[in-house]
Amino acid sequence: MNRSWAFHFRILAVLAVLGIAAFPVYWMAVTSMTSSEELFAGSPRLLPDPAQIGTYARALVSTPLLTWLGNSLIIALGTTALSLLLAILPAYALSRMSFRGKLLLALGLFVTQMLPEAMLVVPLYDIFSRFALLDSLTGLILANTAFAVPVVTWILKGAIDGIPTEIEEAARIDGCSRVGIVLTIVLPLIAPTLAAVAVIAFFQGWNEYVFAQTFISDESLKVASVGLASFVGELSTPMDTVMAVGLTYTLPAVVFYLLVQRYIVAGMTSGGVKG
Amino acid sequence: MRNSVKIQTRRKDPARFLPYAFIAPLAAYLLIFHAYPLMQEFILSTTYTSLLDPSLREFVGLDNYRDVLGDPEFHKVLRITAIYTVICVSGGVGLGLLVALLLDFNFRGRGLARALITIPWAAPPVAVALIFIWMYNAQFGIFNDILSGLGISAEPINWLDDPQRALPAVLFATIWQIFPFSSVVILSALQGVQSELREAAIIDGADKLSVFKAVVWPTIRPTVAILALLLTVWSLRRFDVIWVMTQGGPLGETNTLVIDLYRRAFVYLDLGHAAAVGVIGVCIALVVTFIYFWLSARADRAAGK
Repeated sequence: MNRSWAFHFRILAVLAVLGIAAFPVYWMAVTSMTSSEELFAGSPRLLPDPAQIGTYARALVSTPLLTWLGNSLIIALGTTALSLLLAILPAYALSRMSFRGKLLLALGLFVTQMLPEAMLVVPLYDIFSRFALLDSLTGLILANTAFAVPVVTWILKGAIDGIPTEIEEAARIDGCSRVGIVLTIVLPLIAPTLAAVAVIAFFQGWNEYVFAQTFISDESLKVASVGLASFVGELSTPMDTVMAVGLTYTLPAVVFYLLVQRYIVAGMTSGGVKG
Repeated sequence: MRNSVKIQTRRKDPARFLPYAFIAPLAAYLLIFHAYPLMQEFILSTTYTSLLDPSLREFVGLDNYRDVLGDPEFHKVLRITAIYTVICVSGGVGLGLLVALLLDFNFRGRGLARALITIPWAAPPVAVALIFIWMYNAQFGIFNDILSGLGISAEPINWLDDPQRALPAVLFATIWQIFPFSSVVILSALQGVQSELREAAIIDGADKLSVFKAVVWPTIRPTVAILALLLTVWSLRRFDVIWVMTQGGPLGETNTLVIDLYRRAFVYLDLGHAAAVGVIGVCIALVVTFIYFWLSARADRAAGK
């Protein structure tokens, strides 16, 4: 009897934690579906008002929401593609080959993982201004990749470490080239980790704020993080519309993350956290 | 290196160059986008340079460092950075550990619960900042409604504009966002705890706390140590949530090092002093990195890898 009491108490505690974890995003949804009159009335509305779904249509018309999301998507996909392209072969080399400068590269990857974006924003601004990369989505992809690729390489290296070398040796005897081995044997074996690092790179691009805020001034090139932040302190956009934009930016990220989180946890713990 | 296969390298073997071909693009990328900007940052930090015309540079030696390090405002920045980092890390790891232990048992819907718990971690930081600004709103925010509903405080509190309350408010939002990551990492470390050992301890009549100390903690300790260092580094570099919520204010009470750097460069247009702050920040990040490197090497040795 005592035991079941403890069990139920524990379930209650789990529900409480889940409630706290989910509440702010839920509150975003509620606010986006509450009429302005009710938002500023005495007591808050705790459930969304289905009649207010029109807020989302208004958000599409009155804000450049689709442009922002489109630009964020381009940045996120570009960062993912470029990071993977740059990381796969070095990850393999770090795991399987011995060469001079290997320790230096490993150290470089470690250090660059630790550098704050904001600390490089001044010199990158200077460099980008000289190469016409300010006000360009390409520039943002390049900058974001610089911060995604170290962790991606590191995690992939960890995953390749976990593959027995015998599998490759058979292919090597058959005369398969190294690049061929990586593409046809190694990559399929680390597919879950590839998915994980792709998502990590994607989020780097989707969430990134400081470079986008600093490097982009052309309205048509603004990304969602910067667009959303521009509502702060600006009073002409109603709060329900602001929250509708916020949720439209948040929800795809959350859903995407929930779908693949199994792989991310496995990837992070196999390569990232344990080093 | 211990895991790698030694490739046969004879003098004329073209395969000798293969590793370099493999790493060359990445190495070039890191040089262009990390090493070169770092060098530029260092050079900038020894000049007086305005953002209005960055090509006009006046060499001032170490004056910027002297100005920054002698500035009481910068001492406050360092103090706030330290407070922010320590509370983020202890709060993030502590709460993460508690929630991980809470979730580490068998119940229906466990998978769903473990997925839902990661919502804060998956939400974009700028969106997190925005929703917390709204929840902290003095007149219409849900926070004050909850506090008055619980009978804690009836009067409306202006969280983000109050110098006493802005930092705790920003910390609360940050810890809300990062604790799921800690939980998930610690949960996966908990799977390494041997259930036989734990059961044997319980049969021997050990209470929960001693089981935790004797069996659980030694297994997850290396993971928690690395986690704490990761969170330290992330707290040092966090810009978006703080900038969007307070821009470092009110009265500089949330002005961490990266916020201060950004303000100097893009609000006061003073690139030289901003770069000096940046170099100081890089030094701090490097010290933390080497601690991380050293700890993970030690953890690897302990694990017999």
